Amino acid sequence: MPKYTSMAYGSWEEMIFGTAKHPVSIGFGPVELGKKHVHPQIVPHPRPGSEATKAKILKEYQRMTEDALSHCAALGFPSIVIEFEHIYQMTSQPEWAAAIFTQAKAQMKEYYDKYGLKSALISTVADLRKPDMVNMRKCQEIDWMLETFDSTAANGADVLSIETMGGKEVFDYAIQRNDMKGIIFGIGVLSSIDMAWLWPQIVAIAEKHGITPGGDTDCARGNTAMFMAGGFTATDVPHTVAALARGCSAARSLVAYECGATGPTKDCAYEDPIIKAITGVPITMEGVASACAHAELQSNLVAAVVDLWSNEAVEYHDMFGGSSVEVFTEILGYNVAQMNAAIELGYAKELQAINVASDKYRDVHGFMLSPDNSYEIGKAIVANVDSYYLRAKAAVLKTAELIDADSKMLLTDFEKDALAKARADVEALPDNEADFVDMCLSEYSKVPGFDPTSYGF
Amino acid sequence: MQKTVNDLTNFDPIFIRYDIKIAPKKRDAADVSTDPALQAIAKGVVEGDEDMVAEASKAAIASKGPQTVIDTLILGMAEVSKLWDDGVYYLPQVILSSDALMVGLNMAEEALGSAVVKRGTVVMHCAHGDIHDIGKNVAAALIRANGYKVIDLGSDVPEETVVQAAKDNKADLVTGTALMTTTMSAFHRVAELLTQEGINIPVVASGGAVSEEWVTSWDRGVYATFAKQGPEMAGDAAAGMSWEDMRAKWNLVV
Repeated sequence: MPKYTSMAYGSWEEMIFGTAKHPVSIGFGPVELGKKHVHPQIVPHPRPGSEATKAKILKEYQRMTEDALSHCAALGFPSIVIEFEHIYQMTSQPEWAAAIFTQAKAQMKEYYDKYGLKSALISTVADLRKPDMVNMRKCQEIDWMLETFDSTAANGADVLSIETMGGKEVFDYAIQRNDMKGIIFGIGVLSSIDMAWLWPQIVAIAEKHGITPGGDTDCARGNTAMFMAGGFTATDVPHTVAALARGCSAARSLVAYECGATGPTKDCAYEDPIIKAITGVPITMEGVASACAHAELQSNLVAAVVDLWSNEAVEYHDMFGGSSVEVFTEILGYNVAQMNAAIELGYAKELQAINVASDKYRDVHGFMLSPDNSYEIGKAIVANVDSYYLRAKAAVLKTAELIDADSKMLLTDFEKDALAKARADVEALPDNEADFVDMCLSEYSKVPGFDPTSYGF
Repeated sequence: MQKTVNDLTNFDPIFIRYDIKIAPKKRDAADVSTDPALQAIAKGVVEGDEDMVAEASKAAIASKGPQTVIDTLILGMAEVSKLWDDGVYYLPQVILSSDALMVGLNMAEEALGSAVVKRGTVVMHCAHGDIHDIGKNVAAALIRANGYKVIDLGSDVPEETVVQAAKDNKADLVTGTALMTTTMSAFHRVAELLTQEGINIPVVASGGAVSEEWVTSWDRGVYATFAKQGPEMAGDAAAGMSWEDMRAKWNLVV
């Protein structure tokens, strides 16, 4: 059940990059997140073929880690956080993951001992459960995942995170049909329930090993909507519907922190500015440096309240400037150097204003994630504590209301129609969770593979 | 006093909203039949209204025969494609129309007593070890709505299963999608197994981390950028176009 009933900040103006109400310390140094400093986070990804054997994958990770650390030393970066987003072969083979983390941690210690380079290591276990193929609570995949959380926590990880898959079967069906009821059910209800089941287990593993339970992201749903919406020339998903889905994402990702996660949050959770406004945990965001992985319409704005600045994922290969890991470590390092210089000079609010002005009215996604609107959506969420459904519905309606009310947020006629229809559809939904769930369990029984017992129904 | 975004009224120096500049004018769908009974079927497809299609199809099957209903359904879907091409429709409207089309098609096929002859057969899957399949599902809906038989094997599919399905169904085309670079390697193995089995068909690969450079580095590989390309690619393969010619048509790297 929802727990947050108030905001961590008195107003959006109190929110600024580099500072969080509830800082977190991780790794060698330690790396202090949310204490008037923004840190860089590199997420390297192995090349295809390197997964063929344990020896090959270990070598690949050894090189990627070395490139990140040596480049920080070469360019004078004070700190680096490295996130390993598990490939399938790591989570399904916990002993591979353990060896990779043991190796990386030893490399990081070497650089800490030699240069004083602060560093921390994040283990993001792959959620291998596909909701329409397995029972989410009773399957081989969940056993692998929990075992790998444990093996990486025991072998060098400082933070445990994940991108959970609950509700994706219904969400995928709904987003292809502009079906707000299914979007709210998939994200706001099913995914929240799945997180509330899984996250206490992740927190227990982290506590057992004395490390940090980080966070979760609505990547599988919210980012699917955002990427399908695409740029100005795409005609797949209305941008307004993607923004409403994102409002829902915030209500859903909050569950991790209600279960004991403390941040840093997961980098691809674009809903994190709203999460920070509610919880005060340090957030990780990916923006302009994630162009190596995907395009987006709010790359500067998402730096407005960030604490850990990431690149999403970069595949390891050569570039003119060095390896891709070196190049993106450098980009991230200088990005945060600029933010930290602004903090030290007392220009943080000015830099925040510049980043917001860059993207707030470029697209509705940036609009809703600007600090002022994030705060308003957060208030709608914490004002609805009766159920996951009601706070998700409230987040969606507040997002729609904000877009409708700001004349600077220009919309095409198509987007206006899509928003009006979506808003009307949501306003017509039931006023309590039981009725909504009954309606959805009946309607979405047509979604292939949807198994209500995966969610305790 | 510090200036903020609220002080700006002209954003042109910062970004240009090309979507506003190029927004297509709304237009209604064109009628596809002068016969009100048949137009009701087409209207149901265009509006993605399964109930309307079911009701109109039931009546028209009785009065005009199932083949006429099928022809009308296809004309309705063609109008949907035009609306999408013109930017008037977005993908969700096309998917809803496809759902409605299938309702009418199933009713008509039942009345006919046999399935409509399909334009070709496509075996689709998401790579072994990969569970990110929304792109495959969108492409499957579009290909199916364009009159092809789709064998959808789902996600995390072993390579041998893909090849066996291609063999069993005499497929014209195999497609694979993957989000992860470390799972997409399976497509190459699918292509090699097809060759070993003497099945000479293209393997279209696509997905988040899948690159044209990689797909065109092995025999049979043809890279697709968008799900929307699916029906035309299926048409090429069903018409007997070789993988080399398909690669030359669709990909930069030949």
